Amino acid sequence: MTFALQLSIAGIATGSVYALIALGIVLIYKCSGVVNFAQGAYAMLGAYVTYALLRVGLPAFAAVLLGMVLMAGIGVLTERLALRVMLKAPIVSIMMVTLGLLIFLRAFCLAIWGPDQIAFPQIFPAGAIDVAGIYLTYNYIAAFVLATTLSIAFLCFYRFTSIGLMQRCAADNSRAALAIGIHVSNQVSIAWAASAALAGLGGVLLATLGGLSLGISDIGLIAFPVIVVGGLDSLIGALIAGFLLGMLEAFTEGMLTPGLEDILRRFTTIQSVGALQQVIPYALLVLMLLVRPQGIFGRSGTERV
Amino acid sequence: MTTRTVLIAAALAVAVALVGYEANRFWAYLIYAVAISSIGAMSLNLLIGFCGQITFAQGALIGVGAYTAGNLGNAGWGALSLLGAGLCGALASALIGLPALRLRGLYFAISTLAAQFIFSYLFKILQPLTNGVSGLVVKPLVLFGRPVASDQEYAVISIVLLFLSWLFLSRLAQTDVGRALLVIRESELVARGMGIDVSRTKMKAFLVSGFFAGLCGGLLAFTSRFANPEAFEIGLSVDQTAMIIVGGLGSLAGSVIGAVFVTLLPEAIQRLGELMPSADLVSAFREMAFGVLIILFLLLEPRGLVSLGQRLRSRWSGSKSNAGTAVTIPLRDRSRTFAMPAFNRRKV
Repeated sequence: MTFALQLSIAGIATGSVYALIALGIVLIYKCSGVVNFAQGAYAMLGAYVTYALLRVGLPAFAAVLLGMVLMAGIGVLTERLALRVMLKAPIVSIMMVTLGLLIFLRAFCLAIWGPDQIAFPQIFPAGAIDVAGIYLTYNYIAAFVLATTLSIAFLCFYRFTSIGLMQRCAADNSRAALAIGIHVSNQVSIAWAASAALAGLGGVLLATLGGLSLGISDIGLIAFPVIVVGGLDSLIGALIAGFLLGMLEAFTEGMLTPGLEDILRRFTTIQSVGALQQVIPYALLVLMLLVRPQGIFGRSGTERV
Repeated sequence: MTTRTVLIAAALAVAVALVGYEANRFWAYLIYAVAISSIGAMSLNLLIGFCGQITFAQGALIGVGAYTAGNLGNAGWGALSLLGAGLCGALASALIGLPALRLRGLYFAISTLAAQFIFSYLFKILQPLTNGVSGLVVKPLVLFGRPVASDQEYAVISIVLLFLSWLFLSRLAQTDVGRALLVIRESELVARGMGIDVSRTKMKAFLVSGFFAGLCGGLLAFTSRFANPEAFEIGLSVDQTAMIIVGGLGSLAGSVIGAVFVTLLPEAIQRLGELMPSADLVSAFREMAFGVLIILFLLLEPRGLVSLGQRLRSRWSGSKSNAGTAVTIPLRDRSRTFAMPAFNRRKV
């Protein structure tokens, strides 16, 4: 029981970061119809930039905030320079542009910071608290609290402010939005800025949990099952599916993998099932697409893109 | 495709094969590397460029081909192992294509992304077939009872197979099935209205494309004598997609041009990079150039190098005739879709 709870805690903490990344992808997709494969690269770059700012000597809070602002700038920059021109291009070209961006940013970080994993400076207090036999490290708590608060704050912003209303309007029907005087292309830029900033924070949180490396950029692709399960056009769906898949991964790693390996060793020559927790979400993705392509929270009809 | 085109291509193939046979090992390596990637790129172009089914699972299919050829070759099947690689590739491709019967566009692309990850996971854990992460060592291809050992011979074999693949695919593009693919790309609704069996035609495209992807993988395994999971990850799919975008979507010649470009670019940068201080920096620089080039191509020359060539040629000759462009009509150019000269000649 304690073990299961321990697993759920780990799952929820990573899941909240998945939610943060997925939220950004959904936001961009809703607003501009672009599926951003480079979201993971934003997360990675955000983590490295924050690391550089910390090295310069900024206090942790300022460094994270400034990192997010810089990432927002980079988000706008890529949208203006690369994606705006591609508005009328076929969908495969748009996907490839974002993939090209992913390759470029990864190589950029490789050139500056090298291929080795770097220990991320301690920005949250070290140690853990012990609640009824379950250890909660401050890193996990901080990741969960920050990611969840920010996600919910963002959802509220989207729901209740006037900019949020304009965002929804532009995402819903860009022509109608233009007709009532909303500057749609500015709204698209805002969406890119917001999602790059969210991704940047997600990257920092991932770095505090598992160290700083180029591997953080993989989260952009790991987030896809989250988005599909939640619904490609549903922000709430991304949040909930993020938690679900985080838990699924933790339980696969902690419980399913050892059990399965026992069985396999008994009957076959296969010794290990490897990183099963990384594949289970994709299997779920395919299943979801076949059963309910619009996801749990998506509107039906979105699959005819 | 006229007889003249075939003759020109055949002459070109013979010339390159001769060069490959006479050249030193490095040039032979470049020739077979380009030829093998060209086969893969053409098969991918059949799906993305002709049929409009965006897939990111090409790396997985090439991997299936490589492992099949490796295992069959090690078991002593000789040249038949290449055929087996193609057939297994076709099977895997049909499996990956199954969701396409229900899903469209973006959603199908995401499902192939998932398939790519699942396959690269399987390559790692199916120890008995793939030898896991340490990789499968492949014996040389046995042809006519003797092992093919030199890179020069592989260059010739690859060029011959590239020519045959091109011949088959360009013939296919001119049959009813080939034209049906173009209609499906433009609009499945219209295709259905014209009496095309969309599911069946899509499946044919997946099977044929998978066959050539598998063949590409088989050749890759024999030439590198080694198949390991890292070689067939999503990066390979991205490379292959970059080839057809750089060369031109919906054009077989474009696939070859793109393969030349994308395969030789890293080599060229490697040469330049020998001036640089560290190996890490060289590989970072190579990747950066690759990323930037993909983006720049898409922004500046979205129809690929092949359309650049066509424009230059039509300016040269001053004529606006577009004979034989049924294959190279750009995506999304809906105004011209049903006015293709070759298209109306025969009923689909």
